[in-house]
Amino acid sequence: MKSLKRSLGDSSANISSKVFIRSLKSGRVQKVVREQYLRKDIPCSSQLCSTCAANAAPDASGNVPKPILSRRPAGTKQFPNGHYIIPDTNVLLTGIDLLEHSDAFYDVIILQTVLEELRNRSLPLYNRLMSLVKSEEKRFYLFFNEFRAETNVLRQEGETVNDRNDRAVRKSAEWYASHLDATTKKQGPAIVVITNDADNRRKSKAEKITALSMRDYVSSLENAEKLLDMVAEGQDRAERGELIYPEYYSMSKMQTGLKAGIMHQGVFHVSPYNYLEGTVKVPTFDKPLLILGRESSNRSVSGDVVVVEVLPKDQWKQPSSRILDEEAMNQNENADDDDNAEAIVTEGERRALQEAVKTAHRAGADRAQPTARVVGVMKRSWRPYVGTVDASSGGGNRQQTVFLVPMDKKIPKIRMRTRQVDELIGKRVVATIDTWDRDSRYPAGHFLRSLGDLETKDAETEALLLEYDVQYRPFPKAVLDCLPAEGHNWKVPADKSEPGWQGRKDLRDLLVCSIDPPGCQDIDDALHARQLPNGNFEVGVHIADVSHFVRPNNSMDAEATARGTTVYLVDKRIDMLPMLLGTDLCSLKPNVERFAFSTIWELTPDADIVSADFTKSVIYSREGFSYEAAQKRIDDKSAQDPLTAGMRHLLALSKLLRAKRMAAGALNLSSPEVRIESSETANETADPLADVKTKAHLETNSLVEEFMLLANITVATKIQSVFPQTALLRRHATPPASNFADLADQLKRMRGFELDVASSKMLADSLDQCIDPAHPFFNTLIRILATRCMTSAEYFCSGSHAEPEFRHYGLASEIYTHFTSPIRRYADLLVHRQLAYAIGYDSIAGETVDEGLRNMNKLENICRNLNFRHRNAQHAGRASIEYYVGQALKQRQEKMGDEGVVEEGYVMRVFENGVAIFVPKFGIEGVVRLEDFELSSKKSAKGKNTKEADAEELVIKESEFEPENYTLTVFEKGRKDEMSRRIELFQEVKVRVSSEEKGGAREKGKRRVRMVVLP
Amino acid sequence: MPLDTTSTYSSTLLRQDGRRWNELRKISASISTQPSSDGSSLVTMGNTSVVCTITGPREGRGQRDNNNAIVETELNIAPFAQLDRRRAGRTDKRVQELQTTISQAFQSQLFTHLYPRSSILISLTILSLDGGLLAACLNAASIALVDAGVPMPSILAAVSSGVIIPTDNSLARPEPILDLNNAEEQELPFLSLATVRGDADEEDKISVLVMDSRVQLTGTDNPAETMLRIGLDGCQSVRRTMEEVIRRQGTKVMQGRR
Repeated sequence: MKSLKRSLGDSSANISSKVFIRSLKSGRVQKVVREQYLRKDIPCSSQLCSTCAANAAPDASGNVPKPILSRRPAGTKQFPNGHYIIPDTNVLLTGIDLLEHSDAFYDVIILQTVLEELRNRSLPLYNRLMSLVKSEEKRFYLFFNEFRAETNVLRQEGETVNDRNDRAVRKSAEWYASHLDATTKKQGPAIVVITNDADNRRKSKAEKITALSMRDYVSSLENAEKLLDMVAEGQDRAERGELIYPEYYSMSKMQTGLKAGIMHQGVFHVSPYNYLEGTVKVPTFDKPLLILGRESSNRSVSGDVVVVEVLPKDQWKQPSSRILDEEAMNQNENADDDDNAEAIVTEGERRALQEAVKTAHRAGADRAQPTARVVGVMKRSWRPYVGTVDASSGGGNRQQTVFLVPMDKKIPKIRMRTRQVDELIGKRVVATIDTWDRDSRYPAGHFLRSLGDLETKDAETEALLLEYDVQYRPFPKAVLDCLPAEGHNWKVPADKSEPGWQGRKDLRDLLVCSIDPPGCQDIDDALHARQLPNGNFEVGVHIADVSHFVRPNNSMDAEATARGTTVYLVDKRIDMLPMLLGTDLCSLKPNVERFAFSTIWELTPDADIVSADFTKSVIYSREGFSYEAAQKRIDDKSAQDPLTAGMRHLLALSKLLRAKRMAAGALNLSSPEVRIESSETANETADPLADVKTKAHLETNSLVEEFMLLANITVATKIQSVFPQTALLRRHATPPASNFADLADQLKRMRGFELDVASSKMLADSLDQCIDPAHPFFNTLIRILATRCMTSAEYFCSGSHAEPEFRHYGLASEIYTHFTSPIRRYADLLVHRQLAYAIGYDSIAGETVDEGLRNMNKLENICRNLNFRHRNAQHAGRASIEYYVGQALKQRQEKMGDEGVVEEGYVMRVFENGVAIFVPKFGIEGVVRLEDFELSSKKSAKGKNTKEADAEELVIKESEFEPENYTLTVFEKGRKDEMSRRIELFQEVKVRVSSEEKGGAREKGKRRVRMVVLP
Repeated sequence: MPLDTTSTYSSTLLRQDGRRWNELRKISASISTQPSSDGSSLVTMGNTSVVCTITGPREGRGQRDNNNAIVETELNIAPFAQLDRRRAGRTDKRVQELQTTISQAFQSQLFTHLYPRSSILISLTILSLDGGLLAACLNAASIALVDAGVPMPSILAAVSSGVIIPTDNSLARPEPILDLNNAEEQELPFLSLATVRGDADEEDKISVLVMDSRVQLTGTDNPAETMLRIGLDGCQSVRRTMEEVIRRQGTKVMQGRR
């Protein structure tokens, strides 16, 4: 028998093998052998080179790729002949922002070796780099050096992988230089390797390759001043200070620990009230573990995936009841004094500890909570952060180190070096974190860009959008190209034989109308109802047929997938779909024919469903009501036309539907909602705060809501039956009873109410019981707090959960999805496609339905993104309102010249040194510290500026905190008997709300909403 | 972990092992590797290597067909053939399906009517597996049957072909690729295809077509057609290589006789 070993004749000289060992998650080790076919036809892709272009290989369609690298690359002082750049992996890891910069870094060669390493180290950075490679203007060329015979490098005996990769980079640089010189027959452009590794630079020098560090390279550019700020920190620093933080465990130690169950993995969240207190929710325990103090949180930033270890029982603590704000703290006070002298704990004891955690969690809220410390970080979720520069003074052009104080209070200050301090103070600045070393109290990062002056509308809006990762750039041309060519003149074709009419029902004779908030431009839904001869009702919900315009898998679809949802800010709307579709072609405006997707039920007079039918249709909306207008029309006894009659039927049926839902245990939840009506008539004298309105709830609101819910539920059932594995549904998980423990205890102690959380029905009933006759808002307050105890609803793919888990807890529905707002939510659009397939609708041109509808993996990814976008959109909207209220307060103060508005507030939480107060009028929640308690009424008569008044009096206030009674007594030092104020949970208090500028040079121009509790 | 094909292919037009779209892996085939058997071969396609031995045609046992010979297949994947050492049981449904596919392919391909009431046993052993399992098995069996002297109209040649469907640009055409290795099979939709030479002036005939992936079947430039088109060319090129091997062996045999 012949040997199986491949004979190494000349024919196989072009094959080499790549052998590598990888360890799997399960701990097994695999040896992977891959073939590598070495070749000579991989082009250098320089426009200067004619040989490569001549023997470049075409793709399957016969196209030969065009050379990418410029004929006349940019020159610098050092390289007058122009240069091509080859970055190494570390440079990409730390400096991708620089490479993305539009002022520099053109004609870059990305080596396969580097790309592969980058992908292993960071997938997000890899994706960013790939989009650079795909964008044509930056001229990034992907050179597969490992497959080119001349540049392939074999790992030598005793050589580390890193050294081998460095050598591969040098080899490619060398080849490029000699190749370009040879083909151009003169001195070609310089090949510059950028590497921060000093050893690599030294070796390059020996091999006569130009290699520079990032800092040196950027210094030689023309606009070095600006770009130098963006060079990442950390690589060059050699000296080590005192080590503040403990070292992370090694990956294998963590994995062993996780497997053995003595360490736990979870996402690190920082408390919004106290920046030194964090929690990690781990799957093993019902309740999150507490992480107290800097040392325990050990350099993790809110959002990171961390590995924690439970601390010994004597270090367990109550969650802190203090308000701690990093900004308010002085640096010297932060130093963690508590000496965590770590006792040596054996494995057995550690195991016993896990049991103790479970018992403690079961025992309830009275005892000390288990605490843990971070021993390692699995995945960083660092992103660009928006904030303000905190610097005591300008420093001219000299480079100095400043702190960036992020807007998000949960993120620590970021230390960064800059040469433009003077320009950055008073601006909104974006920066990113690079490293967090053991010897540095704060993370080190670098400057990305400045958004503009604080409190200017543009800068603040952009800051908000960046902070919540909202894609706000205008739609690219590729997306706009997908719009119908007719633009605003597009009409439903008159001829019914047109392809657009195929499979559509003509419902133009139905008396359809839409009911929306006033001024709504993107009208998603319209309704109709009529009585049938048999006494039943025919009710139709007609939804804009967005899927007719947005075809699967084109650029517009991809953009909408990425955006996920339309984001509503107070004075801006960031659309998911281009304006033309959202506000015109899809929008079910009155008095025009529009394509729709209709759900039509036959309902008995008792609102029981007899049948449901789905069809694509053409409708003609007779009227576009606002909620108020619709209500008026229904209430108007004189209106007896059929449209009004239909609306009255709808209203009557919706009441029945609502009653049924409530009986099934649907929750009537509340969130602090205010609406800003930017009145155009706002003139100089008007009160700017007049725009801030709490949302009114009319009967017509719930009319629309009920039928939308019904449509969503009906559609969910239908698509689930056709796509058992891949239907896009929405669920709201039943919250564990432990989530309500705190609230239940508070209610019981303060008001004597019992909160029954056994089921949503029980919860709904017990929430109805929580009424304080003196304070009608009390019930709403409790509902707001109860909502916060629940998990948030999420989109999911039906195959990823068992059927009982489909349940929507809040709506008390077995199955639910989103179908009714395809203009502003991508999920609805996908559901439209699934439903269209389910009813056998053939789209135009006989295209088959997107295979993505059945691809569970793809759908799960989409769901993940949608959930993330949805949450961010909500947060951004809320933050926008908060900002607007602050600005309105400021304007009002300037106009009226007083100290702020006095409003009713409710105590939501009591801390040791302050309270959290919710002001329903503005829908804002704020923290009131001891110094903001006014104890006697005489003080408010004093000077206009509260700060001056404070300074004059210099009264030190003290407090007594009774955690078990949720009560705080505030008094002036030493005068407890005469001047004290007792505040308890849920109490109604008068607060003065004002907008206040922070003093001092350090935080110039920064504002916050200040609340002062009045006597 | 190395890169994936989908994201980089459009920029480089290179696959993850350095091949172009239309390149086969290195194929080597030898014939009469086991002199003790009736017919044998060793085929390697890249890192996939298959040993095939033929037993028969000989008197069939058990179930017999009065008009034709029965072709049976025994496929054995060596425990060391893949990344993880694993012993495939007899009951492995995937292996059983492959066996049936191979048997049926040759049942209709060979002139079995010349051997009534007899059986032909194809024994395949996979020594190392790196994608293209079915294609390699069919090729190995095909030339081993030639070695065994079983008459057939043309040799059967097989290859796998796949398609890269660009994700970021729906307008881009799907890119076909030939002869996938294991990493590519994990990532991309692919099919295995075997053809026999058609009669004079006719096109090749497809005798085996197996696809486990889900792709779109309609429309112009659909992935399925794209894969088929390149697969047909691939089979021809594989057939040429194997015919060359057979001719060389034939010459040797003839010279040996003389």
